[in-house]
Formats: sequence, C-alpha cells, structure tokens
Amino acid sequence: MEIWGLLNYAIFMATFIGIYALLSLGLNIQWGLGGLFNAGIAGFFGVGAYTSAILTTQPVDGRLGGFDLPIVIGWISAMIVAMLIAWPIEKICSRLRSDYLAIATIGIAEVIRLVIKSEDWLTNSARGITQVPRPFGDLPYFESQLAYLVIVVALVIVAYVLIERQLKSPWGRMMRAIRDNEPAARAMGKHIESRRQEAFIFGAAFMGLGGALFAHLNRSITPEAIDPMVATFLIWIMLILGGSGNNRGAILGAVVVWIIWSFTEILTDQLPHEYAIKAKYIRIFLIGLMLQLVLRFRPEGLLPEPQSGTPMPSEATGQKTKEREA
Amino acid sequence: MKNFKSVLVGGLLAATALAGSAAADNIKVGIIGGISGPIAAMAPAMVDSAQLAISQVNEQGGIGDGQKIDVVLGDSACNPQNATDSVTKAVNVSGIVALVGPHCSGATIAAANSVTIPAGILLISPSATSPEVTSLDDKDTVFRTVPSDDYQGRALARTVLGNGTKKVAVTYLNNDYGKGLAESFKAEFAGNGGEITDFAAHEEGKASYRSNLAELAKGGADTLMIFDYGDGSGLTILRQALENGFFENFIGGDGMKSDAPIKELGGENLSTFLASSPVGEKSQSLEIFNEAFKAAGGDPDAIFVTTSYDATFLTALALEKAGGDKTKMSASLRDVSNGEGEAILPGEWEKAKKLISEGTAIDYKGAAGDQNFDEKGDVPGTYALFKVSGDAFELVSEMK
Repeated sequence: MEIWGLLNYAIFMATFIGIYALLSLGLNIQWGLGGLFNAGIAGFFGVGAYTSAILTTQPVDGRLGGFDLPIVIGWISAMIVAMLIAWPIEKICSRLRSDYLAIATIGIAEVIRLVIKSEDWLTNSARGITQVPRPFGDLPYFESQLAYLVIVVALVIVAYVLIERQLKSPWGRMMRAIRDNEPAARAMGKHIESRRQEAFIFGAAFMGLGGALFAHLNRSITPEAIDPMVATFLIWIMLILGGSGNNRGAILGAVVVWIIWSFTEILTDQLPHEYAIKAKYIRIFLIGLMLQLVLRFRPEGLLPEPQSGTPMPSEATGQKTKEREA
Repeated sequence: MKNFKSVLVGGLLAATALAGSAAADNIKVGIIGGISGPIAAMAPAMVDSAQLAISQVNEQGGIGDGQKIDVVLGDSACNPQNATDSVTKAVNVSGIVALVGPHCSGATIAAANSVTIPAGILLISPSATSPEVTSLDDKDTVFRTVPSDDYQGRALARTVLGNGTKKVAVTYLNNDYGKGLAESFKAEFAGNGGEITDFAAHEEGKASYRSNLAELAKGGADTLMIFDYGDGSGLTILRQALENGFFENFIGGDGMKSDAPIKELGGENLSTFLASSPVGEKSQSLEIFNEAFKAAGGDPDAIFVTTSYDATFLTALALEKAGGDKTKMSASLRDVSNGEGEAILPGEWEKAKKLISEGTAIDYKGAAGDQNFDEKGDVPGTYALFKVSGDAFELVSEMK
C-alpha cells in the first residue's frame, strides 16, 4: 500500500508537471524566443480548458453545448481557439514594448477570467463545467492515472520536438535576432511584427492545450482554476528558474518548481496544527525566495540558453541586455 | 532527462522517509481546507472546529481499542490545482481513511473526480454548496454536511413571499455560493408570483458598492436580498445601503448571519435586517457545540464552523462503526445518521462508542442540523429566519 501510494502520488505529480511543462514551453516560445512578456497565461489556459470542456461534454441545458465530440477534437480545438484569441491580442499589443505588453496581457487575462466567471450561456459561470470525460477514466485508479500520464508525456515530447525544430530553423534564428537586437534585424529587412505575432500565437496554442489537459484530468473546470497565482506566475517562475530560451530548461523548471511546491506541504504537515496553518504560506514565500536567488546568482536559469555558432563580441552585449530585461 | 530522474528518485526517497516516520497505529483523517486563497479568513476557524471534534474523540477513548485519530492538514487554496495535489498526497502518501473537505466547491469537484472517487475514499465537504456536487458520479463516496444552495434559496423565497413581501431587488457575490443561492431564490420567488426588480452580481473586495446599490434601487423595491458573506463585501453593501437609505429592508442568506455586521454597524441599526441560517431540529445540539467551541477558544458564530464540526464528528462515527474498514465507510456513515436510533449530540463520543459496540442504532444530531443524508449524499437542511436583537441573532421563525 505504501509503495503503491507513493507510486500513485509520483504519477499524479508527473502528470501535473507534464501539464505545467506544456505551459512553460508555450511561454518559452513567447518570452524565451520572442522576448514577448506575456503575463496572461491564465487567460489562454482558461480558454483552452473551457473550449475542450464545452466540445466534449454531453449536451446540457442552460449553457452552450456540450457537443459530445471526441476528446482529440476537443484538444485540437482548444489549441485553435487559444490561437484565435491570441491573434487579435497580439495585433493590438504588438506595438507595445515589453512591460506595456505585460500590463496589457494581465488585463486581457482578467477580462477572460471574468467573462468565464459571469457568462451563464457560455461557461455556466461560477459553477463551472463538470462531467468532462477523461480518456481511460473508467479504469481503476492506478491504471487510469498511468494512462493519462502516458498521454501527457507523449504530448510534451511532441511539443518539445516541434519547438526544438522550430528553434533550430531559420525562423528560430530570426526570432532570436529580433529579440536581442531589434534595429539590426529590422535593418536586415526582417518583418518583426509578423514574426512576433507568430511566436505569440504559437506559444498560446500550447497554453491552450495545457488548459485542456488539465480540465480532462479533473473531469471538471471551474473559474477558480484560472487563478493568476497558479496559472500565470508559477509558470513564469518555472521558466525563469529553468532557463528561458532553453526548452529543456523550461521543462526542468516545471519539474523543480512543482516538486518544491508540492513537497514542502508534506514537510509542513509534520508541524503541530497551529503552525501547520501558518506554514502553508511559507510555500509561497519559498517560491518567491527561490526566484530572487536565481535572479541574483544565476539569472540565465539552471539550464542557460545554448549559444550556437562562433561567439562574437556583440553577443556578450546582447546577453547582457537580455539579463537586464529578465 | 537525467536531472528529471534524479529529482524524481530523490523525491520518492524523501517521501518514503517521511511516510515511514509517522506513527503506524494511529488512524489518519485528512482535513483539506482553503487555508491560503480567497477564503483564507474563514478557513482557520473551520479547521479549528474540526480539530475540536478530533480532540473530543481522542480524549473520550479514540477509535476502536483506543486508537487515536491523526489529522493530516492540507491546503486546497480554493483552487483545483492545489486541491487535487494536496488530496493526492493525503490519500497516497499519508494514507488517510477519510477526508473532511475541501472547503470550496470547485476544489471539491476536482479532488473528488481525480482522487477520492477513484481511490474509494470517503469525502465529506463542510462548505461545498454548489448544486454541481450533487450530480457527481461518486459511487456513494461524496457527502456534504452543508445543504446545497438550491435548498436554502428556495426556502428563503417561500418565506419572504409568506411574509407578504412581493417585490425585491437581488444582489449576489459572483462566486458559486452567491450565484447558486441567488439563482434558486429567483426561480422559486418569480415562479410563485414575486417580482424581482433587479438581479445583479457584484465582485468581491471593492471599496464602494454605491453605484451598484443606486442601480438596484431604481426598480422601486424596498427590500434588498444580499447573497454574500457578512464579514466581506456583504458588510460593505449593507453599510452603504443603510448610510444612503437605498433600501429599507435587508434579507441575507447564511453567509450574512455573521457577527461582523452587528459589531461594525451596531445592533440598533439593524432592526430591518434578517438572515436565514440552517438550524438543527434539536437546537440543543447547537448550544452544546457553541459552549464547547467557545471553551476551546473559537468563535461559534464564524461561518461554516458547525458544518465543519459535524463533518468531522460524523467521519469519526463512521470510522467507529466501520471498525476501521475503509470500504465500509460510506455505508457506516449512512448508518450513524439516518434519522433512526438513539440521538447522539455533539461531543457525546463515549456514549456513541458504547452504543455502537452494543450494536444499538444511533443517529447523530449535528450542530448545523440533523445531517440525515439523502441518496445523493446531500442534507436537506432545516432553516430558520433570524433577526438582530441587541448584539446577537434571535430566531424569528422556522422556514418551510
């Protein structure tokens, strides 16, 4: 029982890490590659989760759908709808410099959250959507968890390979050139706005997929899940800590941060009851402290961005600019 | 990937060490609350009242041959991410046999779906009021000691109509609690000839609700229904409505039956304020609980402390009845609280233990109501309407 229990917990943790890794990879495309400060991850997460939930549930009175479509269609649609939402946002915000883009995206994520929370006909508002089907959900506890983990890991690998290919392609090099030295890239005739838009939309698709996977894992989605703390800032910390610009870093960050987040609770539970309540807040403090330490002592993250090609003197300055931005 | 593996292995080893260090012969019960997050102000009192039940059980002989109950305290933060995470840990690492919580509806639905239902662990939520909890496909493992918002809203609507008020404005907190109550109130009230002049949600934590109130007052109703928490934005709304004279009468749900309005606004200003709240048929139960909780240093008027106490005490009764068999927990829970048998009041653990060992049927009469579960694991709830008298709430009438 003990071993099975631990295994169950490990599988659950790995599934969660997988979902967060997808979000973190999505953010890596936007920030790590494109230098776009998206502080509204929760918005795309929510859009993906609700899209898939609405499409795959049984028909219900009082809200849109459900359409009882296969889960795969729900997941693909989650990516497409997240991309469709990302397009006008980036269109409007593309002229904004990084910090203004952050403010704009926070605002938009909040708008999305409030729409989801308030619109009965669309999302069943505050009560959320339940009875979302889970693939292999009819299996016993252990097997169904394991099956879901396999799906999530497979998707993370596919995402990783796709992004890695994109990173090594001319498109990836162009993105980094734009990020590190915008005037130079513009002088070389690169269309900066379109490239940025592509990066933003590409990243949003993975965030939407992460949201969809989360909804199906819990067989439900409620507005509380679109909380900025767990659906935006935690992911930022994962990426910064793991190493922005490096896909493996993005995944490693998700692993480390989630393990610390989840594990510290087991430790604090060993404390007496009156301290245990207070200790819950230490977790939040710990994550913040870790971010501070990483930014102070290792601003490039645990796994820094790989530098390809011959190092040039200008690259050092480019790196510095990036550090300052981070 | 090497890093990933070493972290995972390290994590597993640490977890094994921790799990191994806990006392082996105690029974573990999880209490998963919204300790950080939006209901952080309410959660500590709820956890304290659950602890009160546990310490009463432990002091009066424990479970079976004197086994003690250990509490595994988890934080759901009121969101599904943290709730499923901490419930997974409680079930799999700590090895709990039953769960009191999580506190919020969204957290409860997610944790039940992804952990406790597949693992077959009994879950009793003291404060998940969303009607969605009723429809979970739960193999009879999900219960709650707080009535679904549906019941209360409808009962309140009938009572308001019965008192001759035909025209009201409704404002509700935009979360599952406020909305659930407001919707069921609206359905019953409008369906029986009442008129709702305005029906509007408000967001929590704003400094001023004057513009919302001005809008609500336009319809000409002189009664305002407030579905909110009396120690949160509900208090602000009540204060600003009184200050500016937007409405004459105010009626709230159980969330509004809090001491905060009386302390902040003064009992003499609240003569037109009524609040509904669940009550037990044997109101003696509530008094016993209040005394015990006060003695333990708690505030018995805090929200959901009674339901939290009942959920924990019922869990202990079910444990005793099931004789430690995890698979019999649901059936045992129904046995100890089905309206038939000798009445057990809050804190009467020794008596209950003796009766169970003799094989006599018992029936727990909780602090928040009789807690007789229906086939969905919900409690119907008996409600009464309260008014403010002096600096306390006084029962006006039972609600049907």
